Amino acid sequence: MCASCGYPTAPGHWTDAGLVERGARLRARFRRAEILQAILPAYGLTAHDGGLVPGLQLATLTGRQALVADLTEFWAVAEQLAGRPVDPLDPRFTGAEEAP
Amino acid sequence: MAEPREGRMRLTVLGGFLGAGKTTWLRHQVHDGQFQEACVIVNEAAETPVDDALLGGAARVAVLAGGCACCVARDQFLALLRRLADARSAREASAARLQRLVLETSGLAHPGAIVEAIRADPLLVHHVVVHEIIVVVDGRYALAQLSREPLGRAQLEVADRLVVTKIDEAAAQASLPRLLATLRQLNPGAVITGAIKGAPAPLPAWEMAAPEPLPALDAGAAARPVFPTRLVLDATIDWTAFSVWLSALLHARGEDVLRVKGVVRTPAGRLLVQAVRQSVQAPEILPEQDGVEAREDDTVVVIGRGYRAEDLRRSLRYFARSGRC
Repeated sequence: MCASCGYPTAPGHWTDAGLVERGARLRARFRRAEILQAILPAYGLTAHDGGLVPGLQLATLTGRQALVADLTEFWAVAEQLAGRPVDPLDPRFTGAEEAP
Repeated sequence: MAEPREGRMRLTVLGGFLGAGKTTWLRHQVHDGQFQEACVIVNEAAETPVDDALLGGAARVAVLAGGCACCVARDQFLALLRRLADARSAREASAARLQRLVLETSGLAHPGAIVEAIRADPLLVHHVVVHEIIVVVDGRYALAQLSREPLGRAQLEVADRLVVTKIDEAAAQASLPRLLATLRQLNPGAVITGAIKGAPAPLPAWEMAAPEPLPALDAGAAARPVFPTRLVLDATIDWTAFSVWLSALLHARGEDVLRVKGVVRTPAGRLLVQAVRQSVQAPEILPEQDGVEAREDDTVVVIGRGYRAEDLRRSLRYFARSGRC
């Protein structure tokens, strides 16, 4: 419950499940950013999570930026910025065995 | 599967097309002692409820008439669930609380839409967890319905369990094996059982039967067969990488990925991950257990169409390796 507005807090995003150990949440954020940084350049996007500000920062190579709360929102905003959805079944991810 | 140790009410969604035999099946289960302590919610699209009169044996019956819980009467349905959750929370923790809910949907409901409505409700998500989607299939008329009604197919595709009713009448028609093969093709992940007037009945041999070629209802999509893919998450695939990958997959391929279900091991315990279409339920932590079922850990089944199974595995491995030198 939020003490200011009285609304029940939204439950955590499903990708945050299981992060109960000390530091697990922060480690997961860094790991997420690491994966996204490897995936996104193909779509002309970059992701950043310094661990200080809540949320993930998403930017295009031309400088458009967005701050998103969770991964569901992340992929929707990435689609808007890139002009097409980031498809994990894109041949560039299924063809190559080794990550760059 | 052992009951998870968490405090949310477990909801069983019972779906199926009009006249498939949902109430008959449920009535027999109640008579048989199943769902004894559950609150049964009966939803009817028509204004006048009939089905609740048939369910006298259940401990508690609530009726939701005059609209379908997945669309028109969605707000009433959510309000009813909130009242139940409220009444339950008002009881002491040590007292016996309502643990199970059964929703008998109207024949026109899409079970996936109901699951999505509960998940999207900020209050109910703390109180209700979808336990199982059971879809009742009419043994006599389903083949004809499936070739005409997109809704009939949509209901089948999201089911965890398919109950084929009227086995005795259908057996006389000799089309039963064909129906069963068709069901297996539409939803390869579901458990299929048979029933006569609600009582379990053995299914005839149907492994050799060919599925009915169903006409495409929406251009293209239905023509592509649905198939299950087992993803084994070995030590190289961590939960964070898997969740990044799955969230991207559901965003990009939400129309094609119908169902995701599996248990993933994380440092915090065994997580039960479930998605119906693009809607992911908050993962629950399952109790630890030894022996047989532990082998199913770190295995996720993805049911869908329009991609190659090998591509799913390759893509997941690519995501998991990313950023690791």
